Amino acid sequence: MSDDTDLLSGTLDLLILQTIALEPMHGWAVAQRIQVISRDLLKVQQGSLYPALHRLENQGWIQSEWGASDNKRRAKYYSLTRAGKKQLAKETLKWQRLSSGVNLVLGQRVLVRS
Amino acid sequence: MRMWNVLKTRIRSLLLRKRAEMELDEELRVHIEREIERKVKSGASTEDARCEAEREFGGLERLKEECRDARGWQLLDALMQDARYGLRVLLRAPAFLFAVVLMLGIGIGANTAIFSVLNTVLIRPLPYPGSDALVGVFNRFVIQGQVFEDAALSPGMYAACKDSASVFENFGVWTSGAATVTGMGDPEQLMSVTATEGVLPALGVPAYIGRWFSNEDDTAGSPPTVILTYGYWQRKFGGDRGVLGRTIVIDFVPHQIIGVTPRDLQFVNLFPDIFLPQRFPKSSLRPDVFSYNGIARLKPGVTIAQANQDLARVWKAWGETEAVRKMLEMLAVEPNLRPLKKDVTGDVGSVLRVLMGALGLVLLLVCANVANLVLVRAQSRQQEFAIRAALGAGWERIARELMVESLILGILGGALGWVLAYFGLRVLVTRGPATLPRLAEISTDGTALAFALACSLGSSLLFGLAAVLRSGIPNRIESARGATQGAKQLRAQNALVVTQVAVAFVLLVASGLIIRSFLAVRAVTPGFTHPEWIQTVRISIPEALTPDPERVIGTQHEILSKLSAIPGVTSAGFASGLPLESENRNGIVVAVEGKTSADQMPPNRAFKNISPGLLAAQGTRLVAGRNFTWDDVLRQRLVALVSENMARESWGDPANALGKRIRMGRDGPWIEVLGVAENVYADGLTQPAPPTVYFRVGLVQPDRPGRSAGVRRSVTFAIRSERAGTEVFLREIATAIHAVNASLPLAKVRTLNDVYRQSLARTSFALILLGIAGAMALTLAIVGVYGVLAYAVAQRRREVSIRLALGAEPRVVKWFFVRKGLMLNCIGGILGLALAGALSRSISSLLFGIKPLDPLTYIASGVLIVTAAMAASYVPARKAASVDPMETLRSE
Repeated sequence: MSDDTDLLSGTLDLLILQTIALEPMHGWAVAQRIQVISRDLLKVQQGSLYPALHRLENQGWIQSEWGASDNKRRAKYYSLTRAGKKQLAKETLKWQRLSSGVNLVLGQRVLVRS
Repeated sequence: MRMWNVLKTRIRSLLLRKRAEMELDEELRVHIEREIERKVKSGASTEDARCEAEREFGGLERLKEECRDARGWQLLDALMQDARYGLRVLLRAPAFLFAVVLMLGIGIGANTAIFSVLNTVLIRPLPYPGSDALVGVFNRFVIQGQVFEDAALSPGMYAACKDSASVFENFGVWTSGAATVTGMGDPEQLMSVTATEGVLPALGVPAYIGRWFSNEDDTAGSPPTVILTYGYWQRKFGGDRGVLGRTIVIDFVPHQIIGVTPRDLQFVNLFPDIFLPQRFPKSSLRPDVFSYNGIARLKPGVTIAQANQDLARVWKAWGETEAVRKMLEMLAVEPNLRPLKKDVTGDVGSVLRVLMGALGLVLLLVCANVANLVLVRAQSRQQEFAIRAALGAGWERIARELMVESLILGILGGALGWVLAYFGLRVLVTRGPATLPRLAEISTDGTALAFALACSLGSSLLFGLAAVLRSGIPNRIESARGATQGAKQLRAQNALVVTQVAVAFVLLVASGLIIRSFLAVRAVTPGFTHPEWIQTVRISIPEALTPDPERVIGTQHEILSKLSAIPGVTSAGFASGLPLESENRNGIVVAVEGKTSADQMPPNRAFKNISPGLLAAQGTRLVAGRNFTWDDVLRQRLVALVSENMARESWGDPANALGKRIRMGRDGPWIEVLGVAENVYADGLTQPAPPTVYFRVGLVQPDRPGRSAGVRRSVTFAIRSERAGTEVFLREIATAIHAVNASLPLAKVRTLNDVYRQSLARTSFALILLGIAGAMALTLAIVGVYGVLAYAVAQRRREVSIRLALGAEPRVVKWFFVRKGLMLNCIGGILGLALAGALSRSISSLLFGIKPLDPLTYIASGVLIVTAAMAASYVPARKAASVDPMETLRSE
């Protein structure tokens, strides 16, 4: 796990919520999906994924249910609750503000270096 | 919705911890399997893939722990852990555990017990449905500046109220008395309540079987009826339901049984055997005989103030006739309703509140003592805490642990207290003073349990907080190694010493005041001598048995002669009532010739009808003049005796009273004063002796033409003999009485001493409990002061050793500690003095003959507590001075 793919604290929650918003899925799939969509730029540490899932459930933003996965095995599926949807919208807005703010401050330099 | 989900998850994680754990395991296992599969697909060997996947996961256990934390299981988990740990730690110090739990148990137990009594007697509603609406109906009278708050109703008032009062759902009047049942074995005297039809329905409970009284039962001339109480029905008829309609002979008149009351029905503050209907003659309802207790159930929503207003209107309408209007004006009659509960509980509230306060202070002392023990323990565990803090335990964790330990102590103490209270109350109910109202109802209940729980949690919080403040907060957790106790660090303990001495002082003053009151009461010359030698027996001769009044006094005279002839009897007499008997407290207004003007209401006086020889039998001295003779009685002379205080009030000197004349009311015949008797404390030893008029027994000619002559049919005999109370003597008395008439029942067979002791019951009850509280306080304070100072000495042993090694005089060292103790004790004593002075007024209702600020009590209590505390400080001080420096320093 290299430093440049380490997730800013708080963003993991946002990513999980966004990922689950598409369809209910289990923990492993969440990690895979984030990695695939971000074209391997973001890699979720298992060590932080599960505590995050449990925390989100504890806060009532996601709920879990045991179900059969594609190959007929049991897995714990997480889905978004109504409160979770609201939270996702809020977090998304916050993130956009933050990132555009950071981009403005960093300005050209980032573009040049990339 | 979100709240619900959160709650669901939390509850699930709390209740289904095992399942949640399994689910977590499985979830993580699924993840690892998937990961392995993925790696195998991309070409790794199964073994490598597994290794890789598990490595990526990091520590599985740590991850699980993090997930648990995220779910909020941690707190409960930790609390359980703390509780288990705390219990183990406490069990390792059994002496400490035992001492603390025992102290708390006694403190909480005593408080819970007295709270249960208070709760039952004063707070719990009366055992009737909707009992808030029940009121006692009374009037306020003013007779010559003397205010009577609870004057009863007259028959005329009853009729007026029944006809036109609009605020009552039910209303009636009642009196209590005695009735004789014959025809079923030995004649038996029963306690009866005579009530109008509205009385029993007002209680809001239906008859167990049969019915309550009707209007017809109340009407003179209809067949007499009776309602049995459940207890009497069970006792006499074995609970036979066929009893309705049968007749029993009461006062020699057959009465038809129409109903049975529900089980355990308490009637106001009485447990009668039977209820009889009250029948007022239709023609002439006396407006001025205020002898009937009113009881009513208010209509829903009516307040007592509104009811008083309505009743004032009723009295005004009733006062149409000149005579009644004048009477109402002269007496300044005002309705004065009050909750029925007040009639039931009387004035016992003041005793209970004082006891509750005293025991609350004892609990405070217990807490202070326990706090001290906990502090000492926390101090000796400083090193343990320091090590744990060094290993990474947060201060809040250590603080929580101390709190949990305190909670365990509190709950164990509370549990012991609950058990003690439970058994203590059972003893109280069977052996408690009969004068305590609602005694039989007293029990531990949910409220008492909540109280005990609150006590234990409150105490835990108190001494737990002390422990936490002492050693749990961050900068206090430091290495104990090498640190000696500065004076500053002992401040908490010093405060405890001061508190204990102060509180113990207050309790000593309280018990001292009660002891002095008790002694003062015992020292009262009650107006009778050797009550243990005065045998009493009450005899009623009903009209149905002996209609002729002249023969009634004849029978009474004959009985008296037979009783006087019993061997060992020195004197005997009879009266309408004996001193301290609760009956006949009603007074009459008595005018003094030449002193009371015709247009003012004469003052109210206690009165008794007494026979010749009664004063001698009672041991009441004659101050002036002469006693009644049988000649006075048989010739129906208009003569009377008066009490000394009445003689002094009316004529200045007892000797001046002789030959003067008085009369009943404003228009009775004039009666000559024959003699003056010493004052008798007839209303109880703590009440001032009432100014009393003694009329003779025997025939009294009617005060209005057209009425027949009256006679006292119920009288109490007083027989003075050193054999009083023995069984043989009682048999001889019964034989003597039955020789005159075999169907006369004997009631109230006891010695006057029983009555005397009963009248002291409340004071002695308070005395015993306050005495116990005082003794406990003294013991706790001594133990507490000793504990703190001994600890202080132990803590400073090193310092003392160095001083001694450097040449300090042991005497100086000793003096140092004694001075410290002296200072703390004096501060405590001064605080206690101020506190006791401030609180003493609340106890004043229990005091007799002394002031709440009685200097002797204060000085004695002060000397006692300071001496005790000084002794407790001297022992550790001497120990400090006798330390062997070498040994101490070497062992450090």
